[in-house]
Amino acid sequence: MSGSIPTELRYTAEHEWVQVTADGRIRFGITDHAQDALGDIVYVTLPALGATITAGEPCGEVESTKSVSDIYSPLSGTVVARNDAVETSPETINSDPYGAGWLVEIEADVALVDELLTAAAYESTISV
Amino acid sequence: MTNSDSNAPAELHSPLHDRHEALGAKLGDFGGWLMPIEYGGTVAEHTAVREAVGVFDVSHLGKASVVGPGAADFLNSVLTNDLGRIGPGQAQYTLLCNEAGGVVDDLIAYLNGPDDVFLIPNASNTAQVVDIVRSVAPSDITITNLHRDYAVLAVQGPNSAAVLTALNLPTELEYMSFATSQFVGAEVIVCRTGYTGEHGYELVIPAEHGVALWDALMVSGAAFGIVPCGLGARDTLRTEMGYPLHGQDLSVEISPVQARAGWAVGWSKPAFHGRDALTAEKAAGPRRSIVGLLGLERGIPRQHMNVLDNAGAVIGEVTSGTFSPTLKQGIALALINADAGITIGSEVVVDVRGRLGRYVVTTPPFVDANPR
Repeated sequence: MSGSIPTELRYTAEHEWVQVTADGRIRFGITDHAQDALGDIVYVTLPALGATITAGEPCGEVESTKSVSDIYSPLSGTVVARNDAVETSPETINSDPYGAGWLVEIEADVALVDELLTAAAYESTISV
Repeated sequence: MTNSDSNAPAELHSPLHDRHEALGAKLGDFGGWLMPIEYGGTVAEHTAVREAVGVFDVSHLGKASVVGPGAADFLNSVLTNDLGRIGPGQAQYTLLCNEAGGVVDDLIAYLNGPDDVFLIPNASNTAQVVDIVRSVAPSDITITNLHRDYAVLAVQGPNSAAVLTALNLPTELEYMSFATSQFVGAEVIVCRTGYTGEHGYELVIPAEHGVALWDALMVSGAAFGIVPCGLGARDTLRTEMGYPLHGQDLSVEISPVQARAGWAVGWSKPAFHGRDALTAEKAAGPRRSIVGLLGLERGIPRQHMNVLDNAGAVIGEVTSGTFSPTLKQGIALALINADAGITIGSEVVVDVRGRLGRYVVTTPPFVDANPR
């Protein structure tokens, strides 16, 4: 049903993807599987710039025509960028979840990214 | 990220199930039937119905025949609406109430003649409707549950007539009138009705011919922008119109007087189930009523969320809530206590998971539409 899972990213069991950017920040969003399960996304609530977020805790929400889901912080850190474009055009998360539909960048311990799920491990959590 | 509204697996498949799977539909349980929630996305499907045309498989809806001498008169003493207001070839929205005035089901009655009425109840209530009607029927009136014998397709939207015309199906029908026609050798009932607020038709055809009709609609509809639509879009479309959904906005607990469905009650009839209780409730005034709520800020109200007054007191509950794809705003139907003193135009608050959002009280529909 969903497209392929990018192997260069890391993942959480709560369906977030995580990427270390060129300038050492940690960017995350929700996976293609997650956006497909939600359906048409119509509202997004992101944490404020400068907010401290905690690994495994909700830090925002994505809401579709049919349901609402928390966004879970993949790691603990400080919000240094938010993708404001997805608040005005939330459908971008449906159409490009790993690209233009990214959600938040944080400053956090980059070493912890390696402890998150690999693409293969994530795929095994969503295959039925 | 999962749908948690169904536990038991849906057992029944529509005659069109293979088509839905081939189209990659997301399927969900509707009254024990595994039916399409969406194909390409609820918003696009909703928009297609408002601007062009969509086709819905609603074969999960119940079907039952009531046949025998005086079948229509008999039903008129059971169901709330007055079948005397319509003639053969017309259909009517009506209710089956219990003696307390609660709504067992809302349904469409197709009046074939004084001795023959066809009923379309909701999927999950069909067996109960058949049982109740049968239990009070004279011995020479036969009630037959035909739930799995027919496919039902709804063709809805401004281009719906053009799609049917291309298949030589009748379209020049008054609102809530129906005609019987032929399609590939099968009898098909075409009714000018729907649940979307747009000009549209519901087609009832023997189950074994459902796939052929679906395929023909998709082919002839291509030139008119036809889109297969799931029950997710059906829900957003009907909510924009303020049409009640049984089990949410109308139920055994929510009477037609409370649901502002009194227009579907033949008050002057000598008998119908629930007459005494409903007449008394109407005279006294309902203790609560359904109103529309239009969001003034972000957020989507959902069923069972509390409605508060400006002082923070709970004054009611959301019965249906969604995102309106047309308005790009949260909308809801809500049951508000009469003693809260709320009037049309009042501002109220909905507790959306702890965030308080402002809503204005309205009379639906929320959008301009043209069902007739």
